[in-house]
Amino acid sequence: MTHGAPTNIPTHGPDDLVVRGAHVLDPASGLDGVMDVRVSGGRVAEVGEGLRGTRSLDADGLHLFPGFTDVHAHWRTPGREDEETVETGSAAAAAGGFTGVVMMPNTDPVIDRPVVVSGLVRRVEGESRVRAYVSAALHEGLKGERLTEMRLMREAGAFCVSDDGLGTQSAGVLRNAMLYAKDAGMPVILHCEDHTLATGVVHEGVAAALAGLPGSPGSAEDVATATALVLAAETGARVHVTHVSTALSAALVGFFKGNVPGADVTADTTPHHLTLTDELVRTLEGMYRVNPPLRPEGDRLGVGGALRDGILDFVATDHAPHASEEKDLPLEEAAPGFLGHETAFSALYTELVLGGHLSLERLVGAMASAPGAWVGDGAGRIAEGAPADLALVDLSEEWTVRGEGLLSRSGNSPYIGRSLKGRIVGTMVGGELVQDRTGARFGSRA
Amino acid sequence: MRARNLLSLEETSRAELREVLDLAREHAAGPLDRPLAGKTVCLAFFEASTRTAVSFELAARRAGADVISLSEKGSSLEKGEGLIDTVVTLDSLGADAIVLRHPAAGAARIAALHTGAAVVNAGDGRGQHPTQALLDLHALSDRFGGFDELIGRRVAVVGDVLHSRVARSVIPAFRAAGMELAIVAPRTLLPLEADAWGLPVLPSVDDAIDWGADVLYALRLQKERMTGGSPRVPSVPEYARYYGVAKRHLAAGALVMHPGPVNRGVEVAGDVVLDASSLIPDQVGSGVAVRSAVLALTMGAVPSRVAA
Ligand SMILES: [Zn+2]
Ligand SMILES: [Zn+2]
Repeated sequence: MTHGAPTNIPTHGPDDLVVRGAHVLDPASGLDGVMDVRVSGGRVAEVGEGLRGTRSLDADGLHLFPGFTDVHAHWRTPGREDEETVETGSAAAAAGGFTGVVMMPNTDPVIDRPVVVSGLVRRVEGESRVRAYVSAALHEGLKGERLTEMRLMREAGAFCVSDDGLGTQSAGVLRNAMLYAKDAGMPVILHCEDHTLATGVVHEGVAAALAGLPGSPGSAEDVATATALVLAAETGARVHVTHVSTALSAALVGFFKGNVPGADVTADTTPHHLTLTDELVRTLEGMYRVNPPLRPEGDRLGVGGALRDGILDFVATDHAPHASEEKDLPLEEAAPGFLGHETAFSALYTELVLGGHLSLERLVGAMASAPGAWVGDGAGRIAEGAPADLALVDLSEEWTVRGEGLLSRSGNSPYIGRSLKGRIVGTMVGGELVQDRTGARFGSRA
Repeated sequence: MRARNLLSLEETSRAELREVLDLAREHAAGPLDRPLAGKTVCLAFFEASTRTAVSFELAARRAGADVISLSEKGSSLEKGEGLIDTVVTLDSLGADAIVLRHPAAGAARIAALHTGAAVVNAGDGRGQHPTQALLDLHALSDRFGGFDELIGRRVAVVGDVLHSRVARSVIPAFRAAGMELAIVAPRTLLPLEADAWGLPVLPSVDDAIDWGADVLYALRLQKERMTGGSPRVPSVPEYARYYGVAKRHLAAGALVMHPGPVNRGVEVAGDVVLDASSLIPDQVGSGVAVRSAVLALTMGAVPSRVAA
């Protein structure tokens, strides 16, 4: 048995559905052209031209990608179901083309005991529309002191471990945690932040200076990233550095990947760090508080270049719903975090692909292939036998992000009011359409 | 004549082990004719250890030696007298053997450079604890029916190898006796170079049983490995689940050993400690005879049996 693989998706879907005539783009399988994909028993059965099946879905003019995987999301369950539930979080994920999501453990209670892991796994099985992976805590209460029962939690269904939301302050503590996670056979997702440096609420730069906001310097992230990378290399643990937001941290990741053979390291950055800058904090609005903070243009470009070059492996949204009473506040008093699932592809397509900074192929690689390979189970590719997890996208659709149009239970998207291009039309998980804006395109012709 | 020392078993040989165990068997069989009469054995314990100290003292007295005991409490050792000064003093007082327990690895080796007396290492830091491994071999030989019966037996050393002087003596000594070894421990309780001994590292006691272990040698887990500044183990339930010896492990006939004192329910389940498969009482019981033999050999006192 593969521990930690989500069990909420039935392996048997409706038989024989042909997605007909979409432009299939899958960097992992080397597919790029108009063709048909036949789905059967929850898996991809066939890729080719003129395929036959009992049902078909006319996808002329649409693009078909492998379903996206988001390795960083906060579905606020258990404890803050007023902000997000497994049901609404997974609906939001499906609306964004995500077919796999890793749920972070900073809930209430924290996911730091086997019994809590089992409880969440059961909830996911009953409620999630997409494949949901449980990240357990690396330390009890995320406090960076006592190790959690990682091996027992893995047996209870946890997929990986993380103290996300907090950095680990002691290198000695982090090193033992990495060694222990390696034994438990789980990857470690690290939120790299040195809390002795990160004392502010925004990036310590020109915008903070002019706005009069307490800043946290880029070094708060860079010092912790360097520590994490050094320890990853020495321990050989499987380490994933999440939400890289500075050019220097991205360069450090690149250095370790290129020069340190023992380092089993991957890294992601977020849609917001790729598309927004700390100029926004000049508004002083609580909406724009996020951690790591929005950075200056130089960091945005550095991180974008690293994603383009594959130094940063993929994109993860850090989907972080917050109730309006936590966001409609002065920036200094607001909770940090943005919604991410529903706007990720559109924002990146609009800003980076149409802006000429990233190829569509690399974007699909960064949202589907690479994070899919990271979670395993054949995710992130369209190939015979692979799970039928697919995203059907209309690249020509233009839409304006509106709070009331979002499926998340919260409304804290920094893109509200923006006009974006490219939108998810349908999302299929295990052969089932879990998000369907296809306008009843099902045909009956065999 | 310069005395022999027992400092380490790192480079020990089958012949050397057999010599000690043969003599220990004689000591265990019945009273010998005071082979150490007229000798002075000095116990210098820079670290508290009632069990080991008592065992050595009994071993020396049974063999007829005079015993001077310096323990950490209430002596010059407590006042911070240095290792070398103590050894030199004992040497001048005419000690024939110095039994040394010290918190730093290598202490016995240094002591031996400053005295003509025989030095017996009774445990130095994370370094060596040779008499423990010898009494373990004595207990095992008894159970398996002779020293030669140890050849080819499989022993899994389970637990905190990183901090264990017992492991650093047991591993080379058991190997020299012809046994096959494996380690069962989390990486947090192993040296970073876990391959230092060239032994397989297994993830649980269950895996050790699958590997074919005849003996499960559990090491003591200090409770502070779970707390403190950099914890290495999450909890008793998780440790016991993967690294604890439980009743189910005995079904295939494996024997259980532990250098003591046992944390019941942590390294060894409570109902296993006194099970028929447990060699733990035999280990303790082997201590005096083995230590008498070691003292006799290091001081060159060849014993003769009391005429019946
Ligand atoms: Zn974070
Ligand atoms: Zn997060």
